Amino acid sequence: MGNEKGYLALVLHAHLPFIKHPEYPDFLEEDWFYEAMVETYIPLLNVFENLTEEGTDFRLTMSLTPPLCNMMEDPLLIERFRHYLNQRVELSQKELNRTQGTEFEGVARMYFNKFRRYQELFEHRYHGHVLEGFKKFQDMGKLEIITCCATHGYLPLMVHKESVNAQIKIAATDYRSRFGRNPRGIWLAECAYNPGDDKFLRDEGIRFFFTESHGILHGTPRPKYGIYAPVYCPQTGVAAFARDMESAQQVWSAESGYPGDPRYREFYRDLGYDLDYDYIKPYLHSDGVRRNIGMKYHKITGKVALNQKQAYDPYAAREVAAQHAGNFMFNRQKQIEYLSTIIDRKPLVVSMYDAELYGHWWYEGIDFLEYLFKKIYYDQDEIKLVTPSEYLEMYPQNQVVQPSMSSWGDKGYHDVWLNSGNDWIYRHLIKSAERMMELANKFPNASGLLRRALNQLARELVLMQSSDWAFLMTTGTAKEYSTKRTKDHIKRFNELYEQVQGNRINEAYVYELELKDSIFQQMDYNVYSSAAKETVLKKY
Amino acid sequence: MSQHVSSGSIKEPILKDPAAEADIPSGYGKTESYLLPKDPAWLFLFWEITQNTLDCIKQQYSENTLKQAHTVIRLHDITDVAFFDGTNSICYYDMPVIFEARSWYINAPQTGRTYIADLGYVTADGQFILVSRSNPTTLPPGHISNIIDDKWMIVEGDFQKLLKLAGADYIGLGSSERMHVIGERWKLTELTPSGAPSSWSSFSLHLDKVEEEDIWLKADCEIIIYGSASKNAIVTINGKEIELKEGKFSIRQPLPAGSVIDLPIHARNAKGDKTRHIQIKALREQGK
Repeated sequence: MGNEKGYLALVLHAHLPFIKHPEYPDFLEEDWFYEAMVETYIPLLNVFENLTEEGTDFRLTMSLTPPLCNMMEDPLLIERFRHYLNQRVELSQKELNRTQGTEFEGVARMYFNKFRRYQELFEHRYHGHVLEGFKKFQDMGKLEIITCCATHGYLPLMVHKESVNAQIKIAATDYRSRFGRNPRGIWLAECAYNPGDDKFLRDEGIRFFFTESHGILHGTPRPKYGIYAPVYCPQTGVAAFARDMESAQQVWSAESGYPGDPRYREFYRDLGYDLDYDYIKPYLHSDGVRRNIGMKYHKITGKVALNQKQAYDPYAAREVAAQHAGNFMFNRQKQIEYLSTIIDRKPLVVSMYDAELYGHWWYEGIDFLEYLFKKIYYDQDEIKLVTPSEYLEMYPQNQVVQPSMSSWGDKGYHDVWLNSGNDWIYRHLIKSAERMMELANKFPNASGLLRRALNQLARELVLMQSSDWAFLMTTGTAKEYSTKRTKDHIKRFNELYEQVQGNRINEAYVYELELKDSIFQQMDYNVYSSAAKETVLKKY
Repeated sequence: MSQHVSSGSIKEPILKDPAAEADIPSGYGKTESYLLPKDPAWLFLFWEITQNTLDCIKQQYSENTLKQAHTVIRLHDITDVAFFDGTNSICYYDMPVIFEARSWYINAPQTGRTYIADLGYVTADGQFILVSRSNPTTLPPGHISNIIDDKWMIVEGDFQKLLKLAGADYIGLGSSERMHVIGERWKLTELTPSGAPSSWSSFSLHLDKVEEEDIWLKADCEIIIYGSASKNAIVTINGKEIELKEGKFSIRQPLPAGSVIDLPIHARNAKGDKTRHIQIKALREQGK
């Protein structure tokens, strides 16, 4: 420990549901992945590369969820992303000519330079596998990559503990195969914690997880340090770190948060709508409908109509990001200075965000992070960036507190994932889990086609458990798609279940599902057998 | 054993189960029920009761007994009960329900307790006939613990300061509202973007606030519209057809501050030559 007064842990949660449709040449929802790649994931790697080259040390904790890792390593999605990126480079190059001598010259140049750089990183430094990049920075000790529930399953609404166990075990296995070591931490999907689930984390060697602030504030007994130090769960000793709302607010708030600055890029004014139809058509989806293509030339400007927005100035926007980074650091310094007058150890502030906020929603959020890392490293010595693992090494003694059930969703519990708009799914999720356990117990040593069918059943089950579907049904965005995905996985599961029970497995059907729902190539259905885990569900 | 009438059970709108329209099953042919936690005060129970189960009960009890019985959810508080045998709960609460509803949101009488829900009949002489028993579910406490750790003592005033800083007063508000409140506080402390250090910090403000005896209150409102109609009637509420369960219906509707709900309820027979009409209006005044 040095002379610092306290610590800041920055945590980014990077996640997308597993969306891959090989049965279509072109699929709208796959864009979520391509956009996040070019706006968030590769730009973050670019920041890490820059900081490392110039000798700036930094610490960041990032979850890369198993569905995201599976997509990043999927040959079809890599190929499709390559095409997406090439198109961006091509269009931005054309745009250099079109915008020459106009007020958009600067922003057009920015896109061209960025896309070229991201292409260079993607193709030549990471050879199409961005996980290589993330792994490199983890191995250097600057980035701590944590895992997440296998398919972002919402644990407190799983009645069978076998389901919870499988979500953790499948995730940990996937992590080991990609990063060559145990995951030390986990991001519980939606920060949804149910007392006792820490047991399954411990069994996989996972040492810490994150909760919403009241997960610890409402813990038993009272947490001595509030949310400014982790606590250990009783019996298991797994550490829980709680979210600091004050720093969350500075970035998230629609009204007072940084992303609303008028000089930042306007998200809703997009070239997909602005440019001449014949010119832009090759860059739209095959249906030719105008949609966002991810290139935007205007700034927020103020509360004006979209057609009143003014030209974006990349240099001015970057300057604002630097100022906001300075402001964020200053506020953390003050926060930590004040906290250290109340508590008798160096306080820890945990700032947690969705990774896609940076770059995708808040375009300059990437610059903000780069400046924040630099300022913290060069300009001060009051606060120090740490990963949760580093903190636990410095402070191995922590209070034992049973955290409360909680989530980071609206109202703090399960309302978003359990309400009249989506509660119908749980009948099927729970029944499918029960059937999966039944089959795993019935066929402990399956081989050949039966084994393939059982493994595919496990894939269909975890895919239907993705909390994203219930979330999207509630928010209303992509409601149709999320409802269809849920039903598709239920139908596929039931069909395959009947085939297995009736001893009439159709190999063509299994093959089709293996192709479409190809997550977790190494899936082993035995993770659902009772021998794998004692049943915690008590039926009296 | 004490017995209360439930403090309230609210049925969510009877939406058409999408499963019914698609080729996913509406049920799995097994009598069973599951209880899920929603928040510190609410539970969600869903169930399936097969005809076979009902027939078995009919064989065991006289027609008259069942006719006079009513169907209920019996919510047992089994906190710290090592083995629940159906009778040894700390207390239970009965709420009337129709089995055909297939799911129900239950307002738990107390937060932080462990519950099991039994579905069954209560006969005229008070006998309970069990149809299905759920899994147990423990609700979160929803408040700061009263238990203080001897080894990790903290001065009460300091603990209150930590709670304030963490925004503890606003837990349970929608996270957006909570963000807003903290945001307001933060805005006061926001520096000029030039980064020039301010002469006052945010935290002197917090200190002032800590001394205040601050209280807060939250309340919201939903209304339930329920009724019954002839078994074969086609009933619409606000133009939307709703499903009758044994001639009964109930929908739950949010009633935000300042809103007016004006719901025409129509019933018509299959031929469409006979109709009945009831209008229900509700106004919630814009309060502060």
